[in-house]
Amino acid sequence: MLLSLAIALQQTGLMRALRESGHGYEILLSLHVSFIALFGAMIAITDARLLGLAPAGYSVSDIVDQLRVPKRVGFLCVATCGFLLFGMKAEEYYLNVFFRVKVLLFLLVAVHALIFRSSVYNCSGETEGPSGPPARAKAAAVASFLLWFGIVCAGRGIGYIHPPPFSHHFALARTPGPLNTVSSQTASSRDEANGLSSESAPRVFSEKGRRDAGL
Amino acid sequence: MLVSNPINSFELVFPIMEVFHIAGFAVAIGVTAAVDFRILGIVPLQQTPSQLAKSTQFWMLGGLLVAIFSGMELYTSDPDMYYTNWSFLIKMACMVIAIVLNYTIHRKVAQADDTSGGAKAVAWISLVLWASVIFGGIFIAFIRGGL
Repeated sequence: MLLSLAIALQQTGLMRALRESGHGYEILLSLHVSFIALFGAMIAITDARLLGLAPAGYSVSDIVDQLRVPKRVGFLCVATCGFLLFGMKAEEYYLNVFFRVKVLLFLLVAVHALIFRSSVYNCSGETEGPSGPPARAKAAAVASFLLWFGIVCAGRGIGYIHPPPFSHHFALARTPGPLNTVSSQTASSRDEANGLSSESAPRVFSEKGRRDAGL
Repeated sequence: MLVSNPINSFELVFPIMEVFHIAGFAVAIGVTAAVDFRILGIVPLQQTPSQLAKSTQFWMLGGLLVAIFSGMELYTSDPDMYYTNWSFLIKMACMVIAIVLNYTIHRKVAQADDTSGGAKAVAWISLVLWASVIFGGIFIAFIRGGL
């Protein structure tokens, strides 16, 4: 079901146009990382302030309230680029274990927001006592830092896993052509024939993976 | 006695160094961009550019050091490939110019709370240079040609 949706997404006109646009993927990836830099710095500064660390001289509410809108804009830009990157190779991403970990961590970020929004971020003016931020604010900051750092790690790990041999993208990487010539039914049949499910996709670190991961 | 490079001996070292490289650049570039956006008047922060630059200088330097030292480790994994890769060379050139700009003209502009046309031009140049560093880093993997 999800695999069919992923394949349908990567076969849309927009995703096909992006995929066939020469350096479209690399440019989107660069924009994705650029927005991560902007967004990540704001997250790091907020977390550090909630922990009672730098930047000194600013109250918690100064930092949290002023960065709220820029953080939302930054996240929107990161997410938009991320969605387009996913759509270009949706099947490959769907089968990638690091991508799944990344999605899971995003879900945990949403849970984190639900837990701490009302008690820390929406009452930042009351967050700091004479002895610094309370324990709940520090817990929110540590959890936020670990989750976002985990997302960066998982995102980097995505580049190290080869597309499995039964995926459309893998096949097309060998014989370039329009992706929509292969149906999801064919993929499922190939999976069964190979005795492979998406959960048993090859997870290989290799020299090629290292090169492809870039930087 | 030949000693093998740990980054090539253990498969997890390279990706771990990459994560630190990206995180370091994210913090350094992110806080510099915040100052640039404040000079440009794009982000409505209460702090003046000088206050913002002063309070984020530790973050800038810390992130940059992490990015540079992890980047040097990454470079040692395959120096021939990096040295002959156009994208890497462009990245290095942009990074050197961006660092020099950051600690000279950019710093003067921020400390003076200057938001004139000239200051805005400096902020744009800074943003473009740092973005070029990121683009250069990503394109290393996709450009095989070089010197």
